[in-house]
Amino acid sequence: MIRVQQAPFDAGEEQRYLLAGRTDIGAVVSFTGLVRDFNERPDVTALSLEHYPGMTEAALGEIVSEAEARWPLQGVCVIHRVGRLAPGDPIVLVVVASAHRRPAFEACDFIMDYLKTRAPFWKKEHSITGDYWVAERESDHRDAGRWESDNDNAS
Amino acid sequence: MTLTHLNQRGEAHMVDVADKPESRREASASGYIRMKPDTLALLSEGGLPKGDVLATARIAGIQAAKRTHELIPLCHALALSKVAVDFRLDEENSRVEVFASCRLNGRTGVEMEALTAVSVACLTLYDMCKAVDKDMEIGAIHLDTKHGGKSGNYQRQAPTSSTPIVTGEGMAGQVSVGARCDIDSACVRVKFLAELRERLGISELSLPLDSLPSADVGGLKAALVKRDARFARLTEGRVLCAVNQVMALDPTPITHDDEVAFFPPVTGG
Repeated sequence: MIRVQQAPFDAGEEQRYLLAGRTDIGAVVSFTGLVRDFNERPDVTALSLEHYPGMTEAALGEIVSEAEARWPLQGVCVIHRVGRLAPGDPIVLVVVASAHRRPAFEACDFIMDYLKTRAPFWKKEHSITGDYWVAERESDHRDAGRWESDNDNAS
Repeated sequence: MTLTHLNQRGEAHMVDVADKPESRREASASGYIRMKPDTLALLSEGGLPKGDVLATARIAGIQAAKRTHELIPLCHALALSKVAVDFRLDEENSRVEVFASCRLNGRTGVEMEALTAVSVACLTLYDMCKAVDKDMEIGAIHLDTKHGGKSGNYQRQAPTSSTPIVTGEGMAGQVSVGARCDIDSACVRVKFLAELRERLGISELSLPLDSLPSADVGGLKAALVKRDARFARLTEGRVLCAVNQVMALDPTPITHDDEVAFFPPVTGG
């Protein structure tokens, strides 16, 4: 399930929903990203997230499909929020279920790495000293590159 | 980030600036006092009972800047090298705008001095005019710019933070999709997203397909640059492109009614 929404989400509720009625799932890994009150500048007071409707959902769908092709997964949930958020607010949720823990851990990590470098979201931070658009990070590209060096790492 | 005027136990203390290097410090601040149009007219004609209002308020502002340390508990006494206070009569909004700037070569910033100058100049304007108008209102006192010092330069942004990021018909945090070509002949719809939209000052436009030197993304860029030099930004640095919401490169072909989006590197998650 893939959702782009302004409203907050409840990670626990989403995980319960993903697992409801299933007894074939042996592992579930959940990642929640939160708004920090510091980033490129201290004193971040809010964050505005913009996206490209249509392309966003398609890009997320492609990332999830690729994860499903690499690991044996039994359920994936990706929720990304847009609009204005405050420090401490949840931004992104990735829940991955599998029969065993390793594919669940790896696929969750993979989805976040690809989401950060391929899904059309843009962050604008509002700080005490003004507003600015967040710059891309070299480390995010390095993280995403880890999955390209050995394509067949499903285990 | 911590509040520098609080020590580790959270008690107020004066920051020791003895070891900070001296540097050129400048700050400017502004505010306004709104009054009845009649009061503003009297003020500009010099017809108020207490005499030359603006000259008095200017001196008051300068004096106040020099004595900021007596008013604000943890401010240092500074040997300001320059204090300027200026006024602008804004008849449209029936108010007097007050501007102050302060400068010194020293170890602490001068924003409190500039803000104090504006505040006291406004209060003096009130005092000078209150005989004819008690409804006057002082407002929007804020720092405009600050230069020098460890925290670097500051430039106040236009107050856009309260407006959500919206382009076209989209909702907050979104960009509208599916806008129609506003040209009769074959055309291409172009969108600019996020920071690129703000830098270019445009969110969408349509272009006749036959204005492109070649029917691909590279041709579209060339046509845009020809139309307006600011689109040269599209060929500088990292600008990404999608045709019909699929990532594209310069040779990617474009046909009638395609949606082409240009955007900066993504930063979600």
